[in-house]
Amino acid sequence: MCEYTPRELILAAGGVPVCLCGGDAEMIPAAEEALPANLCPLIKSTFGYHLLRANPFLEMASLLVAETTCDGKKKMYEIMAEARPMVVLELPQRESDEAGLAHWEAELRRLGTELERRFGVPITTARLREAIKLMNRERGLRRRLAALMKADPPPLTGRELLDCKSLISGIPSDLEQYERTLAAWEGQPGRADLVGRVRVLLTGVPVVHGAEKVVDLAEEHGGLIVAMENCTGLKPILDDVDETAADPLRAIAEKYAHLPCSVMTPNSRRLDSLRRIVPEFGVECVVELVWQACLTYDVESQRVRRLVETELALPYLRIETDYSPSDAARIALRLEALYEMAQSRREHRP
Amino acid sequence: MWCVGVDAGSRTIKAVVWDRSKHEVAARGLVNQGIRQAELAAELVQRLLRELGAGPGDVARTVATGYGRTHVVHADQAVTEISCHARGVRHLHPDARMVIDIGGQDSKVIWLDPGGHVHDFVMNDRCAAGTGRFLEVVAARLETDLAGLGEQAARSTHPVAISSTCVVFAETEIIGLLSARTPPADLAAGIQRAIAARIGAMVGRRAVPPILFTGGVALVSGMAETLALTIGHVVELARDPQYTGALGAALIAADQAEEARARAGSRPRNDVPGGA
Repeated sequence: MCEYTPRELILAAGGVPVCLCGGDAEMIPAAEEALPANLCPLIKSTFGYHLLRANPFLEMASLLVAETTCDGKKKMYEIMAEARPMVVLELPQRESDEAGLAHWEAELRRLGTELERRFGVPITTARLREAIKLMNRERGLRRRLAALMKADPPPLTGRELLDCKSLISGIPSDLEQYERTLAAWEGQPGRADLVGRVRVLLTGVPVVHGAEKVVDLAEEHGGLIVAMENCTGLKPILDDVDETAADPLRAIAEKYAHLPCSVMTPNSRRLDSLRRIVPEFGVECVVELVWQACLTYDVESQRVRRLVETELALPYLRIETDYSPSDAARIALRLEALYEMAQSRREHRP
Repeated sequence: MWCVGVDAGSRTIKAVVWDRSKHEVAARGLVNQGIRQAELAAELVQRLLRELGAGPGDVARTVATGYGRTHVVHADQAVTEISCHARGVRHLHPDARMVIDIGGQDSKVIWLDPGGHVHDFVMNDRCAAGTGRFLEVVAARLETDLAGLGEQAARSTHPVAISSTCVVFAETEIIGLLSARTPPADLAAGIQRAIAARIGAMVGRRAVPPILFTGGVALVSGMAETLALTIGHVVELARDPQYTGALGAALIAADQAEEARARAGSRPRNDVPGGA
């Protein structure tokens, strides 16, 4: 249910890693019978799928891998674990901490042992290296797809790029599809109808399939999401696992520990990421999406705003919302005003 | 040649006709909002043009703003009221750094950079408690209108603290206070303070003078002073505060018409329709 789950380990054990994050608003009412309403919609939707047994992948799952990321997920997993086999990894949340990394590596070793025990497949070094190569190839292809958006205009919209992303990691036919898409679009002229759109960086929480409301609104009102600094965008694919490392498990632990989710502290990696992505993608304004009740992204948004407005001198808009469509007009108005700000800067740039 | 700005708000539709050659407002007017927004807006504009001895053909460009901006189908473009209020206020008060706009159903605070461009904004369009609606509800209970409410508030010696955060519940609270013989003037002043408190929360500690006050609620006497008390800075009433949105829209229309003219002028001769 998270990008902290090391897909390589699951693949090395002969498993198929499937992401279970919920994006459907209709799952939420059921979840609110057991969970507080004032909780992140992603957590509620995921839990709703569990209660209603409405996600076939979840129903087919042999094992769930969870992490102690945010408080809401952590406590929701406790209830889910009553009914489903689950391994919970404890994620150390101090950034760049040797002891924390050692602990995370130990947690991944424990996951590996558990996978071997349950499924009787030894996770050999060779299988790990193979899985690392596969995932690195997948991340590389997805980076190249994301890089298509650097063009002005690009050959596709942000929503279309988001739709390319698979729920399931490491499937050869998906990688072939990525290759075909790249062959069709790399080096091609961009779409004429996307000329003049305001280039937007979307940052913050993940935009899970079904919850693309803000992406759609952003692109229906004059914007183009050229980059997503979130877990359904660039965040998990920016770094690869070091294939040359002597200890593949340690290398996996390092890559995944670096994921700059707002649960990490002080999360300066995320700010550095934003500093690089903005000029690379020709970003003209930043929209930060915070799901309601997501405390870590909400509090961190203050630092992101300061970075964007003061250091990067770009207009910034924070949108706090849930999966309900009822605030679409209010969000659209704010996006339009943001784009007007960005456009006026185009005209007045020296 | 004229440019027209239409501000289709929640209570009224405002229109401003801007004279591009004389660089001034040629006409302005408003009508009450209704179901037939597009027709009401069109009729208003046509009336203003007729009074100038002009017709739709004399209009270079029309920009619509406000809550109903996408319904004003005869407009060339819709621009948000954030940009339009900023533009209108900047024209009237070139050194303005902050705009407080309180309309019938929403309120906003807009920060301008030294160049007059929108730097940041905060809007309340979800709760009636910081809007003109609150004043309307109370005015009705006090059996007066908005102007009368302002006059009453000015006579208050002890403004009442309204505890309800919701307009609906506040109305009930006011009925109770009236039965308890609370002076209407104190209630009127209390409501003004309640609205000012909502705006104060939006401004936070980020007040940057000069602060200009726009929107229909700016016309209610005492509101600017009450806002100033809460924010801790002078709050100046914008000139013609109900029309700043429509004025800004007209000015943006004029800017766009000018850009189009400049672009057409810089095209190669054989590109101009109809030949040289």
